[in-house]
Amino acid sequence: MKVRDFVRRDLTAVERDTRVSQAIKLLENSGLSSLPVVDDEGKVVGVISERDIIRALLPEYVDMLRSPSFLPSLDRLTKKLREIGDHPIERYMVKEVISVRLEDTDLYVADLMLRKGLKQLPVVDEQGRLVGVVRRIDLLSRL
Amino acid sequence: MILTVTLNPALDKFYWLEHLPESLAPSEEGVTIRTTKSLTSAGGKGINVSVFLAAHDIDTVAMGFLGGHTGQVILRDLLARGVSTNFVWIDEENRTNVALIVRGHEYCPIHIHEEGPPIPAEALRIFLRKYERMLLRASYVVLAGALPPGIPLDFYQDLARRAREKGVRVVVHAGGEPMLRSLAERPFLVKPDVREGLRFGDLPLHTEEGVIAAGRRAIAQGAEICLISHQLTGDILVSAEGIWKFEAKTPLSAFRNLVGADDALVGGVLVGLHQGADLIESVKYGMAAAVASAEVEEKLCLDRKKILAELEKVEVRRREGS
Repeated sequence: MKVRDFVRRDLTAVERDTRVSQAIKLLENSGLSSLPVVDDEGKVVGVISERDIIRALLPEYVDMLRSPSFLPSLDRLTKKLREIGDHPIERYMVKEVISVRLEDTDLYVADLMLRKGLKQLPVVDEQGRLVGVVRRIDLLSRL
Repeated sequence: MILTVTLNPALDKFYWLEHLPESLAPSEEGVTIRTTKSLTSAGGKGINVSVFLAAHDIDTVAMGFLGGHTGQVILRDLLARGVSTNFVWIDEENRTNVALIVRGHEYCPIHIHEEGPPIPAEALRIFLRKYERMLLRASYVVLAGALPPGIPLDFYQDLARRAREKGVRVVVHAGGEPMLRSLAERPFLVKPDVREGLRFGDLPLHTEEGVIAAGRRAIAQGAEICLISHQLTGDILVSAEGIWKFEAKTPLSAFRNLVGADDALVGGVLVGLHQGADLIESVKYGMAAAVASAEVEEKLCLDRKKILAELEKVEVRRREGS
């Protein structure tokens, strides 16, 4: 099976200057776990995920011990989120994008997702423009 | 790729009834309407065109505004039908449109239309950035349906101008002032929506002469082609080259659901043009698609064999002296 058979043709994306608060709202509304970041031509230049936003809020927790002792109070989290809410997502997005093409196989995508621990991958055309996303559930539901 | 813009998407809900209650007047017992069947699908004129195109394996992207649970249902339906989506999410819920179709009166359904949510200025700004981006991939853009509350009346004109500047052909499938204003940007095709009234500006569209006069005015004001429905089984095409009448030899009793038929017409014309057919053959295919859609309970007929069968029944005549 090829990616074109199970791609979710949803082009929901954000731009580099989208604010963190807008990205959170869009993640909530779209049901996606990450959002491709596109330039003016629709080329994928980054990805911003729930995890990237959590890392921006709690770098010690995500990058170090993942221990409750590194979790601050919720008040501190809310304050921190207010601080970065107006920041452009470019500051927190992942710039080394791992993407797949419509002609790639399901096996290739599954391997990539497992090895890299990714829930979702952008699908791009020959010019690197976004044509959809593949989620882990899209693969699982077709097994 | 063919881009469609539906600024006010809807969840379309159809109910089929054996008969209406004798009176809908409020009473102590209340009024209960029992249905024999119902169907739900993503709706809005541009969305319907995209669904039709996707069923013909044509790459199409639907744009507009989605919100709430209704928005999620619309999105899921479109993705399942092979339509690419690029919507802006808003906080408020999309509208639901209801059509009651009474047995024996299928050609005159009863509509209950919600107004739809207002669009915040920030959402409009995000939409325009997305739209500019999608125009880079599009060969046609279809601007379709009514504007949601708060959108300026010259919005289609603005979208048409942006498309023209990028060399993208514009199809305006809308009515009223937004459609009239878009003519200044020289759209490729205008299909006036006359559901709210048989008028084109101040011109009445009750007679064939009236329809032709409206078509000529659309051409004079900038459109390349104007396609206007005249009666349920007829369309008139006006261009600088002449006037053509299209008529489907189908009895009204064959109709099951008229909602979406004019969207199938626009979709069919675009399928023909996309596949390299000339304009007249493309409009014939559109007319066949519209009639086939009116003959099925689903909003759109996506069965190409049935559309081709209807194609045999469509007659085209060039109007003499045109």
